[in-house]
Formats: sequence, structure tokens, C-alpha cells
Amino acid sequence: MKRAGKRLGLVFFPAFDWAISADHPEREERLLYTRDQIVEEGLLDLPGLVEFKPEIANEQDIQRAHICIPDVKSVCTKSHLVAAGGTITAAHKVMNREVDRAFALLRPPGHHAMRLVHGSRGFCTINNEAIIIEHLRHTYGTRMKIAVVDTDAHHADGSQDIYYNDPDVLHICLHQDGRTLYPGTGAVNELGGPGAYALTLNLPLPPQSGDSEMLYGLEQFVLPVLADFKPDIIINAAGQDNHYSDPLTNMNVTARGYARLTELLQPDIVVLEGGYSIEGALPYVNVGIILALAGLDYTTVQEPGPGPAEAPAAVKEAVRRNVGFLQEVWQRRRKIDLDEVFGPGPFYKRQRHIYYDTDEILEKQQEEIRRCEECSGYRVIISAAAKQRRAGKMVAAVIIPWHACKSCRKGAEEAFERLKREGQLELVYLQDVEKDCYNTVPSISV
Amino acid sequence: MSRIIGIDVGGTNTNAAFVQDGNLIAIASCPTNHQDLLSTTTTVLERIASNIPHPEEQSLRLHLSTTLTTNAIMEGRGEPAAVIITHGPGVNPTDLEFPFPSFPVAGAIDHRGRETEPLNAEEVRQTLQRIRRNGIRALAVVGKFSVRNPSHELEIEELVRHEFPEFNAVTLGHRLSGRLNFPRRVVTAFLNASIFRLQAEFASMVKGISGRYGIQDPIFLLKADGGTMYLPESLVRPLETVLSGPAASIMGALALGEYSESHTAITLDIGGTTTEIAVLVKGEPLGERDGAVIANYRTLVPAFFTRSVGLGGDSQIRWSDGSLQIGPEREGPPVALGGPCLTPTDAVIVLEDVPLGDVKKARVELERVGREAGLAAEELARRIIAAFCEKAVREIGLVLKYLNNIPVYTVSEVLAPRELKPEKLIGMGGPAGYFLPKIAAAMGIDYQVLPCAEAANAIGAAVSRPTVAINLRADTALGKLVVPELDLMEDIQRAMLFDVRKARRMALEKAADFAVRTGAYQEAPEIEIGDEEVFNVVRGFYTAGKIFSLKAQVRPGINRVKIPYAWVQYGKKE
Ligand SMILES: [Zn+2]
Ligand SMILES: [Zn+2]
Repeated sequence: MKRAGKRLGLVFFPAFDWAISADHPEREERLLYTRDQIVEEGLLDLPGLVEFKPEIANEQDIQRAHICIPDVKSVCTKSHLVAAGGTITAAHKVMNREVDRAFALLRPPGHHAMRLVHGSRGFCTINNEAIIIEHLRHTYGTRMKIAVVDTDAHHADGSQDIYYNDPDVLHICLHQDGRTLYPGTGAVNELGGPGAYALTLNLPLPPQSGDSEMLYGLEQFVLPVLADFKPDIIINAAGQDNHYSDPLTNMNVTARGYARLTELLQPDIVVLEGGYSIEGALPYVNVGIILALAGLDYTTVQEPGPGPAEAPAAVKEAVRRNVGFLQEVWQRRRKIDLDEVFGPGPFYKRQRHIYYDTDEILEKQQEEIRRCEECSGYRVIISAAAKQRRAGKMVAAVIIPWHACKSCRKGAEEAFERLKREGQLELVYLQDVEKDCYNTVPSISV
Repeated sequence: MSRIIGIDVGGTNTNAAFVQDGNLIAIASCPTNHQDLLSTTTTVLERIASNIPHPEEQSLRLHLSTTLTTNAIMEGRGEPAAVIITHGPGVNPTDLEFPFPSFPVAGAIDHRGRETEPLNAEEVRQTLQRIRRNGIRALAVVGKFSVRNPSHELEIEELVRHEFPEFNAVTLGHRLSGRLNFPRRVVTAFLNASIFRLQAEFASMVKGISGRYGIQDPIFLLKADGGTMYLPESLVRPLETVLSGPAASIMGALALGEYSESHTAITLDIGGTTTEIAVLVKGEPLGERDGAVIANYRTLVPAFFTRSVGLGGDSQIRWSDGSLQIGPEREGPPVALGGPCLTPTDAVIVLEDVPLGDVKKARVELERVGREAGLAAEELARRIIAAFCEKAVREIGLVLKYLNNIPVYTVSEVLAPRELKPEKLIGMGGPAGYFLPKIAAAMGIDYQVLPCAEAANAIGAAVSRPTVAINLRADTALGKLVVPELDLMEDIQRAMLFDVRKARRMALEKAADFAVRTGAYQEAPEIEIGDEEVFNVVRGFYTAGKIFSLKAQVRPGINRVKIPYAWVQYGKKE
């Protein structure tokens, strides 16, 4: 077989013995047909492709990205640790140049998992992309600039939440318009926090968008932004549910469209996210992505049966409008008056309701981010989660960001001490990624 | 009473062993004449027959391992063959870059065995005419996912049979292996077609032997998986006889070795040019994950896992940039035996004063290279031996690292890693007696140098039994059952009642039929179920059925052989 133009690492982990529940879309069968197609195509024999066994992520790997409530053990299954570990393996193989690119083709997915984790939402519990980003920064340099391009049909609200205020991580998300699909967020005007404004970028695509719309967004918007941002690493969170046959979405992307996207984007690390057309899409999309990553011809990859229709003119127009808006945001990002966006006070405050559909949890969050000239600002989150309508207790989390300035570090530590003494909180967390230090204490009434 | 002659036609020598009821009675050998394998076989047979008590009284079985097909492939002496492929969507067939003519035609089957594009008979005809015009008469037909639904391959076979009888035999991909991997299936079918005629000629010659020396039909041929196949069956699947030599050697190690069933052991066959490494886990040899690789052809032929390292008694030794280089090339025999350059064997001869060849010559060469290196002859010899052992240990380490890192696809397998830690080295081959104790000492494990190692392959051939495997896939959601090896495709009746017990029962029955039909066994042998997978097929939030995939097989038998006390030469334990 022809040699791959790029050396490609593959971490394939279909978790054939793990399901959320027997008939859930995240079930044993999900990557069965993909495995069959990859093996039958002989891709594991492809010269230049190396298959790697996933490592198992440890508690520290998870804590760098998440605050798990009450703790890592209670929210993660072994399967999550293998999927996160497999993503880490993929990243390592690229960083130490064993391969040029790597594809973590594994499940369960992670891009709906936010920084605080009370349970599972959108089939996700821990965020595989965030876990490798933190691992990379700890292993290969804390000033690494990383771009995540999420091409799942669902808005990556989890990854957005984690990197919403991180100036070293650019998060671009292309997805089906949130007004028509779970989780509902991801509008063009969600642009990140005061410490990383316009580094969260969302391109919603109306239902019926297909290859040309997605590729238009990529070429006109994503690629120029990446060229400006100059990331050290590009991660593609490669959900495959934009496919025209996906049962959960209303998009019209094809396997070749995904392959072309991969070819244009040239990601260093690709991580599978969603995609639930397990017979009609995934086998073909994954073969297309592997071929595109390996620099081989993918134009002969085609799903059986008739393909999707071309998008209506109104859809194309809406995509052009959104792209135009975002191009302007990106151009003007340094001239925007942040006081106008976040208010003039020393803290930016927001309140949110977060719904965990998979575990039926409703979380109420209050968040404060310190507006800081020196760094991206420390954060304090108060979170109350009600599980299956039973009110849960309140917890608080203090987050010290990467490269926190002295006064933010001091402010965060003081906030932690203060919260520890607040009676109505059950647990108080301190996440200090830079010192790699994660504390949990029960709050004491005084 | 079981009376078996095992013959291994090797690269240099041909060996024979006579085993009666588990006792080694006689061995014999002669040099191999590659131009005339039949006369080589007859010569060694004559020699061993003269050592067999009362050869006329009882019938003898013959188990034959030859390099015939292996060499034909290595030397590119197969008959020109062409492959018609129905590739369907996926990897561009031109990127498959087969080093032989392949002809893509329309027709596609998907991963669940559903036809997604029909064959175009007219296109197939035109393709066959083109192949015929090129003067090619050996033909293979292979479809992507044909093991899930062989109907396209079977249709083309029918068409050839009726309209193109000049193609002597058509190899169909799905019959050769039930495993997925289309490119390997194409390669496997091509090689099979290309050696078909050669094997047919050889089989008819070998048949002529039967009757002589009391050898009765059946004659069995060794396979790469350490099993045997009935001679007439080798006409259908001649490719399975490739790499039978290394397999026979591992079977010999199993027959002669001292190990327990809980042992993980490494076998080292140290030859002149190479060392072959194989691994026993719980007393059984590991197999290749996908299939044998021969002359860079990746096939689906079931084979023992072996890794060949360019390290042997005759490996070339060079001193360059202040360090010793051993191998991987062999330039010729040791200096002591008139060879052109220094070898590990020369170092052993000088250090241990072994009466082999011209010790003086070896010493002079050691001294010459020693001057280059600034070392005395003895010191250089010691370093050569140390470097040999180091390289062997390193290569064994790489093999174990590879095996320990083979990806697995379930959470439970990832969490329960079975790291291979060898407890014993089993060695054979000329230099093994000297090097094995040192390699074992460096690894800190036990070792055994096999007695009668020179005849291990022949002994291995004698003790092997027929192996048979079929793959059954039942998809109750589609109501289809396939056993590709048997051309079997049927509708599942009462799919709701089809469960894993039924799947196993059917697989066992089909494998037993297959074993008897192919002459492997006269009556149904003991069959095991392996590689079992069961998946629920869920559509629209309800269970639409199940997919069962399983393999039913007769694995290589492990039969110990007792050898006459006088022949036993155990390695000294340190
Ligand atoms: Zn999704
Ligand atoms: Zn600050």
C-alpha cells in the first residue's frame, strides 16, 4: 500500500465493553462498524501509520482540567480514564515527533464536560481536549499556544467553559445553530471572558448546512484566524454528527466533506467527539479523516446511497452573515472596549443554569472573574446542583489561572480561606494549575 | 499405534525424524537440493526408512514441511496471476499499489454484508478477456467485505467456470480466511493463485511416494500455524504451506522443551545468518495478529508469531568508529572454515578451543581486527561474545515491548494488562549451546538447549496435527448467517431465538464438517471456540437484534516427544 505522506499515529479505543446504558447512543456498538471498515480497508497496515495502545489517565490529569464534585473517582468510570489517557497518548506521540499527527479515535467523548463536573452531560463526563491541553502545558511548556477547532454538530459548551477566559487557548467551534439543537448555546456573540476576549469564537450553521457551508466557514473564517493566532498545536475536536445521516442532528455534511476539512485544517491532534450514525456515517467519515491525515487520496470514500441535497439559498446567506460578523470581531478584537462588554467594576459577574441531560442534574452557578491588567484574573464559582429534582448542597471553587499575577494569587488564596468558613457550603475547592495543586476542604461553620 | 515420519526440507539440510507413540526412534538427514525437492525427500526418506524397525508391518504416516512455496514466493517464481477486485467505496484502489496486476470492477458490499452496488457482468467479462489476452491463466477474485457476503466472488467464479474455462483455477478471497482486511485478502488470494500450479505438480509427485516404505495415504503437509493439512487440500489453499519451516521448529521446541503449562518462554533458533525469536505463553506459541508476512507480502495466512533478527554464528563482524558491529549481514562462513570475515563463531572457536575448522586462521583474523581496535585477540573475542548476547537480549526486549503494546479494544483488557515476562529461554540451532546460557544469564532467567536440536524441525513436523478454523458471523437483525470458509450463506430462521449458545453450537458443527470434509480428520475432532464477539444492534432506542462473530478451531496440538537417553545433552544450568 502507498506510504502515508504524513506519519500518522492512531489511538483506537472503541470501548467495546462500555455503554452509558444498553440502548443509549453511547453504547458498545458505536464504533463497531468503524472498526470493521478500518480493519477491512487495511488501514492498520498502512505504511507510516502506527497504532498505539492508550495509557490510563490518572487523577492529577483530570484535576488539571476539572473540578470533580465531590471527587474524580465518583464521576469518572474506568472507560473515561482510558479515553482521556488515549488522548494524552496521541498528544505525546506528536510532541515527541514519533508521528507528525495523531488521531484519538476513541470514546466516550468529552466536549460537553465543563470545568466543574457534577456528572455526565451531553454523553460527556470529562473533557478529553482540556485534559490534553493541560497535560501539554505541564509537560512541554506553560506558554504553549493552543487552538481547538471543534467540528461536532453540537456546541462544545464544555470546552468553551473551560477556556472561556484563557488567553493562550483559542477555541473555535462550528456547529448546528443552538436555537435548533442541544445544548442551545454557541451564538456568534459568545466571545469569551474579560481575560481572553474574542478567543472564544462560535460559528453556528443553520440546519441543512452541508460541505460547502462548513468549508466556507473554514476557509473564510477559521483558517485566517489560525494564521493570525499562530498556535503551537491545533487540536480538532472531530465530532461526526454533522453528517447528513446522523439521527440526532439536521446537518448535511458528507464523509468527503469531513475529509476535506481535515485536509485544509491540518490539525496536529484529532479527537473524536460525537457522531451517532454508526453505520451510515462513522465508518466512512473515519476512513476519510484517516486518509486525509495521512495525506492520501480520500475522494473514493463515499457513503452508499444518494447523498444530501445542496443547502437552500437562505442557509448559505445566514452562513455568510455569521462569517462576516466574526471576521469583523476578529479584526477589531484589540480595539473593543472591554468595560462596555463586561462592565467597569473590578469583578465580572455572571449567573448560569447548566443542565446535565445525561444525569438529570440542574446546576446553578454564580461566577466572578477578577478584571486584571496583569493576568487573566482569578475566578470564584459558587455552584448548587439539584440531582433528579432533589436539591443538592452548595460548593465553591476558586480557580487560579495559568500565569496568575501576585495580586490575583493573593486574592484567590484569601477567597479560598474566606469560603472555607462559610457555613452553607459543603465543599470548597482550590484549583491551582500552575503549582499543580488541588485542594478540597469541607467548609467549617464558625 | 501411531507411526509418523516427519520431514523438514530446510534451506541447507533436509531432516527426517521417526516418532512412534511419542517416542523418537530415529533421525536422518541429507543436504537439500533445491532444484529437486522430490529426490531430496526420497533420499532422506530412504535413509530414515532403513533405521525404522519392521517398516512393512504397519502403515506409516508422512508429515512433510518444505520450502517449496516459500522459496517460490521469495524468489518471485510464482506463475503470473491477476486479481479481479470489487473494492467499493474507501481507499483508492490505485493507492493499494499491489505489485501484481489487479483489475477493479464495479460491485460493492458494505460492512454488514449488504450489497450496495451490484456486479456488472459485462464489465467482468471484458476484464476477463483483457486478462486472458495478457496470457495470464491464474486468477483470483476478491471483494471488499466478501467475508461478510461472498456472493459477488461466487458469481464471478460461476461466470469464469462457464465462459472462461481456460483459467485453470480461481482462488476466491473469502475461502482463504474469515478475517477482515481487504488488501491482505487480495495479496493472499494472488499468492495462492500464483503457486497453485507449482503445488499441484508437487502434490502429484509426492503422491507417488505413498506406497513406498509402507507410507500410506494420507500424507500431510505442514502449515505456518504449526498444524498440518491433508495433501489434496493443499491444492485449494497451497499458500497455507508457506513458512512451515519456522512453524515446525517451534513445534519441535514444544515437543522437546521442558516447560510447564504456566510458563511464558522465549524460543531462540540461532542459525548461521539469523536468529528466530518466538514466544510461548502458558506453554502455547503466540500467533501473528493478522497473518504471515512473506517477502514483504502481508497475508492473512495464520502463522506463529516470529521475528527474525540478523544475528547468527556467521554474522559479519566489523570494528568501526570505536565499536563492534555484529551483522545483520552474513558474508560467508567463519574464517576458521574458509570464510572472508570474522564471525561470532570464530570468537567462540578461539576462546573455547573448539575443534572446528582452522583455529589458527581464526586467531590470526582476531589478532588483525584486534590491532585495529587496540585489543588483544582474547579480549576482542570476549567482547564479540558479549556484544552478541547484548544484541540478542535487546532484540528479545523489543519483541516483548511490541507484544506488550498491542492495542486492545475493551476497558477490561486495558485495565488487566497481561505483561509478558519470560521465565525461560529455549534454544536450538548450532550456536545455541554456547550463547544461550550467556543470554539467559544476562536476562536472569532459566534456559534449556534442546536435545536433538538439529532434528527439531523434523520432530516438530512429526508431532503436528491438522489445524482447522472457520469463522461464523450471525447478524440476527438482518437475519443472515455467513461462514465464508464454507461458502455458507443462509437466512436465520426464528432470529429472536438465535442466541450465543446456538451460535457456538453451529460454529462447532460447521468446523467439524469442514475438518472431516477436507480430510483433516476422519471423525470430528475436539474443537474450541475463540475470538467471540457479541454486540447488541440497537436501532431507534430498541434492540433490533444481535451480531455474533466467532471462530471455531482445532488448534495446533502439543505433543511431547521422549528421546532416547543417550541423545540427551542438556544445557548446564548456571
Ligand atoms: Zn455532537
Ligand atoms: Zn491578575
